[in-house]
Amino acid sequence: MTDARLQDVGEVDEKQLKLLMRDWRRGRADRNLLEALSDGYVMIFSIVLIGAMLVSSILQAQETAAVCDTTGCVAARGLLPWASVAGVLAFTLVVARLFGPVAASAAEGFWLMDGPTDRRRILAGRLIGAIAAAGALGAAAGALIASLTGSGGLEIAFWALAGGLGSAGLIAFAAAEQGVDRRWIVSGVQWVIAVAAIGTMVLLVSGAAGWIDLGQITLLAGELALIIAGVGALLILLAGFIAYRRLRNIRRQRLTTGGSLLSGLQGAAFALEFALIRDILVEAKAKERGHVRATRGVGSGTTALIMRDVQRIWRQPLMLVTLLATIVVPYAVQALGLAMLNPPISALVLLAALVPFMNSLRVLTRTKGLQRCFPFDPGQVRTAAMVVPAVLALVWSIAAFPAFLGVAGGVATDPVSAGSAALVTGVAGLLGAVRWVSAKPADYSGPIVSTGVGAMPPGLMFSLLRGIDMVALITLPIVFGWPVWISLIIAAIAFALLRSGLDRDSLMDQQAEQKRLLEEEKARRSGGGPAKQKIQVQRKR
Amino acid sequence: MAGVAKKDVVLQVENLKKGYGPVTIVDQFSMKAHAGEAVALTGRNGAGKSTVLRCLVGADRPDEGSITVNGVKVSETNPQIRRSVATVIDDLDFFPDLSVVEHLDLLARAHGLDDPDELVDEVLEEVQLVPQAGQLPSTLSSGQRRRLALATAFVRPRQLLVLDEPEQRLDVEGVEWLGRRLKQELAGGLAIVMASHEPSLLDAIGARVLRLEGAR
Repeated sequence: MTDARLQDVGEVDEKQLKLLMRDWRRGRADRNLLEALSDGYVMIFSIVLIGAMLVSSILQAQETAAVCDTTGCVAARGLLPWASVAGVLAFTLVVARLFGPVAASAAEGFWLMDGPTDRRRILAGRLIGAIAAAGALGAAAGALIASLTGSGGLEIAFWALAGGLGSAGLIAFAAAEQGVDRRWIVSGVQWVIAVAAIGTMVLLVSGAAGWIDLGQITLLAGELALIIAGVGALLILLAGFIAYRRLRNIRRQRLTTGGSLLSGLQGAAFALEFALIRDILVEAKAKERGHVRATRGVGSGTTALIMRDVQRIWRQPLMLVTLLATIVVPYAVQALGLAMLNPPISALVLLAALVPFMNSLRVLTRTKGLQRCFPFDPGQVRTAAMVVPAVLALVWSIAAFPAFLGVAGGVATDPVSAGSAALVTGVAGLLGAVRWVSAKPADYSGPIVSTGVGAMPPGLMFSLLRGIDMVALITLPIVFGWPVWISLIIAAIAFALLRSGLDRDSLMDQQAEQKRLLEEEKARRSGGGPAKQKIQVQRKR
Repeated sequence: MAGVAKKDVVLQVENLKKGYGPVTIVDQFSMKAHAGEAVALTGRNGAGKSTVLRCLVGADRPDEGSITVNGVKVSETNPQIRRSVATVIDDLDFFPDLSVVEHLDLLARAHGLDDPDELVDEVLEEVQLVPQAGQLPSTLSSGQRRRLALATAFVRPRQLLVLDEPEQRLDVEGVEWLGRRLKQELAGGLAIVMASHEPSLLDAIGARVLRLEGAR
């Protein structure tokens, strides 16, 4: 049954195939990069403005940290880049495992991978691109961290090299492992690096507090950075070569899973929907896990919801470990001499650490279908879903209290101020996380504003600041040296708003009810009958 | 299902009007559903069946008209309405980190059942999800997800059941089971309002059919 026309059609030339695909893509483009940039002046202006603010903050932090010469500051300046760059490297491996690191779109998987093509020739560019991107981003992260800790120019260059070459090397290593469809070694290395990062932070805090003598260890920062960079370079060459050799062996499923995830994330990123990005990642993780050992619930009513959140912690203790690890952050920031900025910085870190505990809140607020199944009003549901994160935030604040006292170096403060700062930090982190998780996405059905980058719902740009706005509102009074009760009042108002969820339907119901009561009252005062309707006569002007 | 005598009016809709932009989907729509009665909304695609159901459960606000359940005005956020109305419409979401059985357990407990194991196991067996009890929702097939959605309506107290094309994605056996189950529910005094394109299911439960004509 073979069609004679399908025989002797020649061999596939992958290079020509890629060129053809590129032509098609370019053929569909209706503007070039410069035109797109000129159209997007609003976005570029915003980025430049935010970038300028960021650079200014970095320079200020650097100046503060650089002039600080207490034991704590010296220890922090020496060791913080170690810990942070280790964190960046661990994060690189997390991303690599999540996406591949070599990935292909579902369309490529279907149309190209199934054909008589050489996968290595199609994927080689992808591998090099992933390594290069990791290198660039790692270098930027390394330089940023070193700048923030007040390091000198040469040290900043060393840590940029360490971050860049280290990240690129690890991507090459993960790609080599992807070629033999093995995950456990990458996972193991990721954990070793993460533990090293946390261990270094603990060492830093202990040294800054004077509990242990760090000796000359902090002076080795430059040498360590060069060692990391060297190992990274070696990995790029060796693991990169092995990864290239193994490109033909990568299963189609393994390639397209990462590609599909990436395209889903791109869609959410274009809408600036970061909570949706997390949803996609959580869903992908759940798919990978597939099955759990079911546990019986506890209690009834809202207690059942709260206790289910407790059981979630037992199921995924890693998020608790991460939260506990973040307790060292306020100690490290204080040790750096950045006492005034400690509440906002630590609250942002707490925000990020608390989000994984809010899966209930997220699902119950993103769509109304599941929430409608529960026999409570939305405020009760939200409050129940906030209980466990709130308890954790409180415990975190208590554990962070000595940091604000200055026991681990930096500026020493009286117990009342330190307690207030710790409490405000905990509350800001909690409410920031609640806002990040439960804020409504931009409303595309409402009025749309015309901008240089096209039509845009007014709420879209605020999506960027979601959660951060709450942290800023609550902690800035402390940064400005205002009384703590201002922060607490702002927090109370924020809690009331977040708890109610600003539900539009409820508000409209309330408004209608108030209107009805008003009409009744009017009718009663005017002698019993229904309120008379005003007659308006149309007149020409 | 206690507290509602057969033939009591459970759901009352008067002069419902709902539209999207300039298009009116439903206008002057009125209906009643009594305890122990099934009302089926039929009509071609876009006739407004789902729109009416979404208004009935409070997911959408009607432009005009009133909807009451046991005399209480329907509001999606009212706990009394949430307690009385079990819904399976297209906006049901699941917790990504809770297994099938944990969803049912949580829902039953939230509705006040202290020890729901027996009920949950029974419903799980009925919807043929026992082998999938420990699975996370993202790994279920679309048919299994539909069965889980239906199961959520049967592990909790209810006086009115609102279903939007419940036969969707169910196999032939599944549709037969659903017919039997809904018949039992009616015998127990439940009122059912559903949209469906499956005549055999409507025949099986002896539903009163209301045909919608659609947008203008």
